[in-house]
This record gives sequence, structure tokens and C-alpha cells, in this order.
Amino acid sequence: MPFTDVRPHEVKELLRQAPVVLVTDAKKVIEGIVNGGVAIFHDGSTYLLDLYSPESRSVQQSETETVITGPHDSFVESLTTNLSLIRRRIKSSHLKIIPCSVGEISKSKVYILYIQNIANPEHVEEMRKRVQRIETDGILDGSILTQYLEDSPNSVFPQFMITERPDVAASKLMSGRVLTIMENSPIVVSAPAAFFEFFASPDDYYQRWALGTALRMLRFMALLITVTFTAMYVSVTTFHYEMVPEALLRTLAESRSRVPFPPVYEALLLETMIELLREAGARLPTKIGQTIGIVGGIVIGQAAVQAGLTSNILIIAVATSAIASFVIPSYMMSASIRLIRFGLIILAGTWGNMGLVMGIALIIIHLSGLTSLKASYMIPLAPMKPSDWKDVFIRAPFSMLTKRPTQVKTPNSTRQTDKKQE
Amino acid sequence: MRRMLAIVVVICLLAGCESDERILEQMALVQTSAYDLLENNKIRVLSSIPVIEPDSDVQRQLLTAENDSIKEARLIFSRETDLTVVSGQMRNTLFGISIAKAGLARYIDTLLRDPSIALGVKVTVVNGGAGELLSKNYKSHLDTGRYIDHLLEKEASVNSIPKATLYEFSRDYNDDGVDPVAPMVKDAGEKATIDGIALFNKDRYVMRIPARNGLIFALMKNNLKQGEIALNMGEVEGRKLVVMFSSLLSKRKVKVHHLEGERFSADIHVNVRGSILEYTGQEDLTDTDQRKKLEEDIAAHVTARAEKMIQDMQRNKVDSLGIGQYVRNSLSYKRWKATEWKDVYPRVKINCRVKVKIKDYGKYI
Repeated sequence: MPFTDVRPHEVKELLRQAPVVLVTDAKKVIEGIVNGGVAIFHDGSTYLLDLYSPESRSVQQSETETVITGPHDSFVESLTTNLSLIRRRIKSSHLKIIPCSVGEISKSKVYILYIQNIANPEHVEEMRKRVQRIETDGILDGSILTQYLEDSPNSVFPQFMITERPDVAASKLMSGRVLTIMENSPIVVSAPAAFFEFFASPDDYYQRWALGTALRMLRFMALLITVTFTAMYVSVTTFHYEMVPEALLRTLAESRSRVPFPPVYEALLLETMIELLREAGARLPTKIGQTIGIVGGIVIGQAAVQAGLTSNILIIAVATSAIASFVIPSYMMSASIRLIRFGLIILAGTWGNMGLVMGIALIIIHLSGLTSLKASYMIPLAPMKPSDWKDVFIRAPFSMLTKRPTQVKTPNSTRQTDKKQE
Repeated sequence: MRRMLAIVVVICLLAGCESDERILEQMALVQTSAYDLLENNKIRVLSSIPVIEPDSDVQRQLLTAENDSIKEARLIFSRETDLTVVSGQMRNTLFGISIAKAGLARYIDTLLRDPSIALGVKVTVVNGGAGELLSKNYKSHLDTGRYIDHLLEKEASVNSIPKATLYEFSRDYNDDGVDPVAPMVKDAGEKATIDGIALFNKDRYVMRIPARNGLIFALMKNNLKQGEIALNMGEVEGRKLVVMFSSLLSKRKVKVHHLEGERFSADIHVNVRGSILEYTGQEDLTDTDQRKKLEEDIAAHVTARAEKMIQDMQRNKVDSLGIGQYVRNSLSYKRWKATEWKDVYPRVKINCRVKVKIKDYGKYI
């Protein structure tokens, strides 16, 4: 049947597939066309159809959070795609969305997602308040949004977890956390977050529990190494010659004996060099980035030792702590920890082990004082919640992971029924 | 913000106080010190310091000083080297027999007083001149100090000599009812060698237990988890009977009996388990009865050697096995205080009760 034969009351019936409105104002018609709509002029009346579907990046693998096994999709810049990625994983009517918008000029859409009866209503309310309280011209990305939302924006440590992975986002929702997701950004913010959450990777769960546990322990060891190794080198070679084991004494002293600076300058020099390399590698295209790695890592490292600028044991210490810092799955956390390391090196160079211990104490005090959405950040260590440890410091078998994390204070803490108790 | 600025300024200013910096390669790290008493009652201190110059042929340098005290020697050393002389990496102290006979207490006290010297620093007696031993260059070992230190460490781990560190020596010296001991080394031409165990009365060296009896001494003094001993049990039909008793596990118990008239007797029960690695006798060890017989022979042999050793110790009034501690524990404080242990000790009847069990007799069947 030709369109001209359609009667006016039949138009809406025919155009059911897309949202269609009858418009009478010419200005609105123009605005609609500018926004990507289609106008249909029929029999004296004008219909406006919203058929706008902008080009967006297809769903690809995440570059910052990679896993070996498990799903490889990641969020993209399209809000509807992102929502569908989450909806696909949680097909529950309890998944609720609070729509908000931020930015006086940008008017970006922000959705707060939570699962009713699992998420703590106080957290949802607090998050909604914080989103609505933002007054700025525009926010362009989820990682900027989180800095507006965090409890202590001046702390070096990230207090909200950000992720690009829909599987992580879904697991956060199911453990009772609140997601904040924003249009034009692949970054999803999950809150509240705990310090130790940043050391978990989805791979821990996709692999068998013994391996997952080993990986967790490896990461906590990496944390210790990256924070203290270089600083320890500095304090031992500057102040505490007593602490050097006999077997290491000669090699350490020999490699130091050609270096013209005190250990603290030597360490800062090399740490800065490593950071330069890392930053150069991050800004350059991947192909050139590899060249930088070879030039920087091998050529400069080798030459620096031969030129007598640094000792080769320090090269090992600095390289080990750099590698250890990359083991930490969250890029935000690993960057924060690399930053505080510089402070510790200076403290170790000025006051030796006393400075180092003071620095670590200050970090722990600071961490214990932090909150994430008003929940304690250092949970399950402060306050002490040993029942949570089996999913924090180790990754226990799934049969033992029966409860949701205590940090959330969820109204429904049972994840699965404990078979042993039945 | 202003407070942060103040903190940064203070940190920068405090960095100027670097007098207590001890940068590793600028230290002369004393590895071993040797002390000898000279005839004019002065002390000769000889310290061995590793040379960390990468292009240097020598591994160590020796600094020596003759004066009245240990610490004064360090000041003299300091004048001879471009490095700061420190003792925080000290591993071993060698005391010559002359100084050991005169008493070690004041030197041990000096060493303990220095907080940079660890309690784990070994105390060793040299049968001869300590300085001579340390300054000698052995062909196969570049650093004599390190060589002796490793030698002592290894031998102590198999219990043929007791572990004697500043901690153990001063503990036994200050404790009631036990006398300190220390391993003894001597120069044997091409090598340095363990010469036995030096026994002290209070802090004075009195007698030596020869090296071949080292493990017997250890059996009487401690519970062992390791050790081996070759037992030369006489001759059978013209052939020497040697038993190598190895992988020892032993438990020791001391029981004190009160006899009339302020006299005591003590039984040292020792239960030894071990395997036979060498046996030159005629008996068939697979046979249970003959093995039992060998066990009894070994026990009798060990008992005889131990009792002779203890008699020597009693004659010299050294209670290195710590029998006095067990007597003390069986008495009231008042009675112990009234007892002059050093006078009572030689008259204590000490019996050794050794039980031997052969776990296995090697892989040969």
C-alpha cells in the first residue's frame, strides 16, 4: 500500500518500531533534524522519528585489564551498549537504575546502578547525593567523575574502584556495591571499595582456587617489594652496613665503590629513569614503545653501570620493584604506589630504617583513616573482619565463599547456602 | 599548606646532619679480630678487614695495634686507613691462649657493650697466638678470617664443637652452676684445624677436650639432632675395630640425687639413635642379637670415654656440662647460696647411663 493512502490515525501504528511524536512547531522539527532525527510530513501533519544511532567503537578487548581466561569484552563509549553488557549478565528485575546528569554545559547522562535488596540503600542514597551535588561545566570521563565523588580527593590512593570490564562490574553489583556509569566513557565506577580489592584480578576466579590463592599472595609480595626494595637498598647502604649478609657484602660494596653519589641520589636517578621510560612507552605507539624498552632498559642500564653512575645491584632492585608494581592489577593503584615509593626512598636516605619505618607507618595511618563511600577502606584489617580474609588475602574455593563482603553492610549477606550447615 | 612547607624545609635542613651516615663502601668492616696478651701485659689486637677495591689482588688487609684496651686499638687503626673502622660486620673473635688463661671477662664485657657488635659473634680460643693464626695466609683460602669462621660454623652444625657466641659465652659465664666453653682452633701448617673444646673455669681457660672427644662432650651436654663419631673400639683378632656411628639423634636427661652430708650424685642419661656407616668388625649386623651386642659395646665404650672426660673436668673444677644447674634446681635458694658449688663439684658422683640404638646399618645388605 503506498504511503499516500495511509490515513493519519494509522501513521503511529505503522511506525511502532521507533519513538515517534507528532510535532506542530517548526522550530522543534528543525531541532529534531539537527539531532539526527527523521521528520515525516504527511497529510498536513509532521512526525518526528528518533532514528539516531551514532557510530561507536565496537566492543573490544580491554587494554588495561587483561585476563588470560574468561570473557574478553569490555565497555565502550556508548552508554546503551554498556548497559546491555551489564544487563546481559544480570537478568534480574532487581537491577535498578537511577538516571542523573552532571555538567551544566555537557549535560552528560550518569546512571547509578544497583541491585535492590543486595546493595545497601544508604550507599545508593549517598552516591545519588554526591552525583547530584557536582556542580561543574562538564565531566568527560568516568575516571574524572570518580575524583569528584571520592571521600578524600587529595589522597594519592584511589578510593573507588574503576573498571572497564563488564564481568567485574557485574560481580561488583552482585557483591552489593553501587555502580556509577557515565555516557561517552568506558570507565565504570564501583563503590564502596577496599584497599585490598585493588589487588584482586578476575583471573583469580577464572583459574582454580589454589592458583588464584598463589596469585593473590604473589601480588601482596609484589606490593611489599615495590614499596620497600629500593628504599631498603638505600637505607642499608647508607646507614645499616650491619644488615648486609656476609655473602652479599663484597659484591654489594664492590658495585657501590665506583659510584660517585650517595645511595639516595643514585636510587632517585635510576627510579626517575625508569619512570621516564614507562611514561615514554605509554605515550608512544606500541611499535616504537618496544624500541624504547630495549634502548632504555638494556642500553642505558648496562651503560650506566659501566660508566659508574649506578651499581648493578641497584639496577636489579629498581627493575624488580618496577616489575613488581606492574603486577598490581589496578593501574590507578599501581601508579599511586609507585609515587609514594619516591617519598620512602628520600626518607630512607635521610633517616635510614627509622625513616623507612616512619614512612610506612604514615602510609598505614593514612590508609586506615580513609573511607570509601563512608565505609572503612582498610577493611578487613581495620576493622578486623577475619571472615572476609578468605576472599581477600587468599581466594578460597567457591564452596567457602558463602557471604558477601562485610564492607557493604548488605541487607542480604548470603551469597549461597552453606552446604555444611544444612 | 604552610605546615607542609615547614615540614619539607625541616627535612631538607635535617639532611645536613649526615655525620651518622655510614655509607657501605666507605667503611672498613672488621671481619675477625684476634687478641693476644703480650709479656708486658699489653694487648695486641689484630683485625682482618676485607678489601673491596674491585681491581685489587688482595682480599683482605690486616691492621694491628699494641696497647691497653680493645677499643683504643680501633682509634689506632683509624689512623692507618682512609676508611671508617666499624665492627658491625664482625663474625669471629679469636683469643690467644695467653689471654684466655688470664681471663676473658673484661674483653667479653667490652665487646658486649658496643651496640654495633652482634650477640652472634663467635668466641674462639686459639691454641697458640691468635694474631699469628689470623695473619697467616693459607694457600687455598684467600681470607683466613672467613675461612676460620666458616670452618667453625660448619663444625658447630654437626655438633663436633659447641656453638660459642658472645651470647652463649656471657650467659654461661654469668649463670650459676655452669661454666662457659669455646671451640679451639690451631694452625696446622697448610691448614687451620679444630683442636678441640676449650673449657673455662669462670672466665679462665683451664683445660682442653681433644677434638676426637668433641661429640662425646656434645652428647653429655645437649640433645643432638645431628652428628657423627668414629669409635675406635680396640682390636678383634688382630684387626682394628672401628665403628662409624652417624646421623645421630640423642636425648639427654640429668637426674640429681641427694646423698647425706651435702653430697650429691648425678646421673646423665643419654639415649642415642643412629646408623652405622662403617663397621670393620666380624659380626653380622643383620642378626638382631649381634646388633644388640654391638649396641651394648658402643654404649659401654661411650660411657667409659665420657666418664673419663668428666673426671678430668672434676679434677680441674670446671662444670662445663652444667651439672650445677640441675643441683641448683633441686635445692632451695637458701641452700644453694650456702653451697660453695666449686668446692662441692669435684666430689659429686657423676654416672653416665648411655643407651644406644642402631636405626640402620647402611644401604649394604
